[in-house]
Amino acid sequence: MKTTSVLSAHLIDEIKALPARYPQPRSAVMPALDLAQEELGYLTPEAMTEVATALQLDAGYVEGVATFYTLFHLEPIGKHRFYMCTNLSCTLRGAEELVEHLRGAIGVHEAGEVSKDGLFSYEEVECMGACEYAPMCRVDHRYHYDLTAEKVDGLVAERRSPAAAAPLSSSPLSPTLPPERGEGDKPKRAPKKKKADG
Amino acid sequence: MPDINLTIDGHKVTVPAGTLIVEAAKTVGIEIPVFCYHHKLDPVGACRLCLVDFSPGPPRPQTACTTPVAEGMVVRTQSAMAVQARADILEFELVNHPLDCPVCDKGGECPLQDFTFRHGYPTSRIDGPRLHFKKPIPLSENIALDRERCVLCYRCTRYYDEIAWEQELTVAQRGVQSFITSQFDQPLQSNFSGNIIDLCPVGALTSRVWRFESRPWDMTHTESVCSKCAVGCNTTMWQRRGQLVRITSRENDDIDEGWICDRGRFDYTDVNEPSRLRTPTIRGAKSTWADALAATAGGIKGKGAKLGISLPADLTNEEAFLFRRLLDGPLKGAKVKMHGRTAIPAPAGPTMPIKEIDDARVIVVVASDIENDVPIIDLRVKKAVSKRGAKLIVIYPEGVDLDRNPHTVHIRNAKGAAAEEVRKLSSHELLQNPGGPVAILFGDGHGSEDMNDLASACGALAEQVGGKEMPLYRATNERGALALGVAGWDSLDGVEALLSWGPPPTAGVPTSVRFLAAWDHLPRDGYDKAAVVLPATTFAERQGSYTNLEGTVQFLRPPVAINPPLKEAWEVLNELGAALGLELDYPGIFPIQRDAAAKTPALAALAQTPSPEPVTGPVLVGPAHP
Ligand code: SF4
Ligand code: SF4
Ligand code: FES
Ligand code: FES
Repeated sequence: MKTTSVLSAHLIDEIKALPARYPQPRSAVMPALDLAQEELGYLTPEAMTEVATALQLDAGYVEGVATFYTLFHLEPIGKHRFYMCTNLSCTLRGAEELVEHLRGAIGVHEAGEVSKDGLFSYEEVECMGACEYAPMCRVDHRYHYDLTAEKVDGLVAERRSPAAAAPLSSSPLSPTLPPERGEGDKPKRAPKKKKADG
Repeated sequence: MPDINLTIDGHKVTVPAGTLIVEAAKTVGIEIPVFCYHHKLDPVGACRLCLVDFSPGPPRPQTACTTPVAEGMVVRTQSAMAVQARADILEFELVNHPLDCPVCDKGGECPLQDFTFRHGYPTSRIDGPRLHFKKPIPLSENIALDRERCVLCYRCTRYYDEIAWEQELTVAQRGVQSFITSQFDQPLQSNFSGNIIDLCPVGALTSRVWRFESRPWDMTHTESVCSKCAVGCNTTMWQRRGQLVRITSRENDDIDEGWICDRGRFDYTDVNEPSRLRTPTIRGAKSTWADALAATAGGIKGKGAKLGISLPADLTNEEAFLFRRLLDGPLKGAKVKMHGRTAIPAPAGPTMPIKEIDDARVIVVVASDIENDVPIIDLRVKKAVSKRGAKLIVIYPEGVDLDRNPHTVHIRNAKGAAAEEVRKLSSHELLQNPGGPVAILFGDGHGSEDMNDLASACGALAEQVGGKEMPLYRATNERGALALGVAGWDSLDGVEALLSWGPPPTAGVPTSVRFLAAWDHLPRDGYDKAAVVLPATTFAERQGSYTNLEGTVQFLRPPVAINPPLKEAWEVLNELGAALGLELDYPGIFPIQRDAAAKTPALAALAQTPSPEPVTGPVLVGPAHP
């Protein structure tokens, strides 16, 4: 019997190749779910079942892992999801107001709600390890630092009409890279001390 | 293993190396409360309830369920630190626990209640809001889940994972939000699901079949044996007001290790069925036993091969012994067909005991889907593989649940060609240097295999690789009936008279039958046309014994009393024998057992019937309130 699968064939091949990378084959469940979520936006029971089959695991195990991590989504999310840090440093520097502002900008009432056009949703998260640039957020795998209401508007606008706005890749991919700024607005900070060892 | 000496609360204890402190404490009757620890599951140390303090060791409470004993160790379960640590953990357990005890089925046999009483604080300081979940949630037809009551000990999910090799029960979310859930909220499918009810230390997992039926102290319980298949798992049967209300497992490490399958646990409601047959009838009219048995005898006597007899799968050794007398005498030549039996021939001698599967280095399972044929053997095989590193070879045409282990070597034979595959096995790489005992478990492929061929192939393989054989009989007392020579395998086609004992023949009553005597516990289609209908007892009212598939004779103790006019089967057979002109006048079950033991070597165990008093376990004593 042939049934249509929700994951693309090449993705399933990619998932099948994962276990070889780990001493314990079922560790592959995390990257596999990540790939599936990347493709579908969120994880449906069908997708989890297909991941399970590809990894020779039980769907129940995969489901348990998927629900454990908040970064795996089990319900539709907007195309772009704002992860707004509301932990201590960011809150002290106005994260709450920014979240309030974001809600207005994308037109939703609460965390998790998807905007009418299906483009946006947001979520409040704990510290993402970039306190020195608080308040900050993560959108589309990138960190955005020293947020202001205007910057948030900009992030929203460039996603509404990507063509009109600056290229999305202008912000750094990794949390350890410092943000790009002009010489002038660089805050005075003591250089980071090198850690003694790893 | 070398022995280790230590002191627990001043008691000198000597236990084998590797013993955990909780287990060592049990040997001197000291209770260390546990939730997550279970002696059949790997320790996880998740609940922290078993805290004790010991020296040498860190100056903090430590979990007794994960710490093995050490030479010279001094364990204190009663020090102020240990007592307070456990009481604090219990207080945490109760933060979100609902005040459900009055409506909770676990009430009265609940470790959380008992431990709180014995190890917890007498009063509560908790008045904040508690976590709420929708409840109860059906996990399956048979099991209900109450997430608010769950203490997250993970016994249920670990059991599923470690013992049953299934993942359909998992933990979702994390931290304080965690809850137990079935895969995508689908009903549980496993044939082994019911054991989680026994495992759950609180009322989070309860039986829907038993739900709100009775309180533990309202029931009497009887130690008996499951009558659903040839494994012979030990059970406890619970009775209230003449009804069988619950069946739970009873640990016997030689056979079941404390597990029973869902058939054994939930398939009992027919015992209490209001429509059950209670009086004999002749052509639909109520009659006395004497008249009904005379009518039966008249219809079946002297018919020779024109008489067919259908036997139930669960007839006892004693019943089979009496039946043999009828077959040797007045019913000589009758065609006999036993329900649910395999085509496996009678064993030539002793066969491999179930518990020896544990030590096998290679296990070969041939022509049987053991998950369904002999369920608890399936768990034993899984244990040998996942906990003791045995290698597994399966020869079966279809997929089986043992395939869940990626290392299982599954040879898919063509139906009827299992013997051929077995013969090829002697050169299989896994069997070249097995490094220990080899277990060969074989069934009959539900009739698809030529049993003479398969049995001799398995015998030859056993000889070549130094293995032991275990024939997987299916019908409850197939092995006992074989020993007594009544486990017939004849076709009933063409018989004129039929004595149908137990459920009607699987193939239906042959159309050639002119005289039908049905001896059954439930009314069924067609019985209105039967010449005679005799009411039968169920396993819950039966005395006697079964011989399980490994040859162990085990005794049934009836939890439910028999109400006249219902009669025990041995009594009916006695009287039927008399009506047929035989001299059968056993006054009770014990003389039958003594006689059977003397005449049948395989039933020698019947000479020593066990005491009717069940053995009681030691009472563990815990400390007073902190
Ligand atoms: S449902 Fe019962 S067995 Fe399962 S984790 Fe909760 S308390 Fe433990
Ligand atoms: S495996 Fe057989 S004997 Fe054991 S509980 Fe199941 S049906 Fe009963
Ligand atoms: S508190 Fe926001 S990044 Fe650390
Ligand atoms: S019983 Fe020891 S931690 Fe749970």
